[in-house]
Amino acid sequence: MKTYAILALAVLAQATGNVCLSRGMRELSSASSIFALFSQAVGSPAIWIGTALLLLFFFLFAAALSWADLSFVVPAISIEVVINVAFAQYFLKEPVSSVRWLGALLISIGVILVLRTGKQTGKSEIEGAKI
Amino acid sequence: MKTAILIAVIVFADAAGDVLLTRGMKQIGEISTISPKVLLSIARKVLTNRNFLSGILFFAVTFFSFLTVLSWADLSFVFPATSLVYVVSTLGAKFMLRETVSFQRWAGIFLVCLGVALTSLP
Repeated sequence: MKTYAILALAVLAQATGNVCLSRGMRELSSASSIFALFSQAVGSPAIWIGTALLLLFFFLFAAALSWADLSFVVPAISIEVVINVAFAQYFLKEPVSSVRWLGALLISIGVILVLRTGKQTGKSEIEGAKI
Repeated sequence: MKTAILIAVIVFADAAGDVLLTRGMKQIGEISTISPKVLLSIARKVLTNRNFLSGILFFAVTFFSFLTVLSWADLSFVFPATSLVYVVSTLGAKFMLRETVSFQRWAGIFLVCLGVALTSLP
């Protein structure tokens, strides 16, 4: 249960962070150089919030890996692609084609399959002082 | 050719980062608290863990290779290609972390790859 809660929170933080970053970057006027772009980005609250949310995602991802299988966590968080597609359409008003929705459906089925295998199938060998 | 090499770098660096991060976090042990005091001491352990830090280094390589390849290649080509990382990470989990990957898990991962490829079509 803890694993699902942490991963759900991680994915939400990541998707919201991406929306913030995307909004923030678009609000910047097209800068002449990469340095000008960077100095504008530093002043944008949306970009700060987006970055903080992506950091939160990374902490939750690492925390989940402290007890769950990597081969469980990685495909499980791929549901982020589906949420990103949905958020892009809803918040950023990007057009989403039916092929993209079909892809999102396949990812969802794949994630459900992986979630049903349980978060830990075998004890890993690398515990304790072996490394 | 240049693109293919960079995509291979992205996929393998990302998977190596995943494997090292997992190895480091498994050494730290299960985090089962939200007490700031304990979390702070965990953070100190994490930031001195060699596996964790090498993992971060690999993620940095991934990120900068990704930015570089995007400077000439289309995202709609690069993104589905990098979905191979799901397969490579799982292979790493199986052979380097000795996780048991059941048939159902492989099937799920395959569907995810296919789905990522489809969502990347224009």
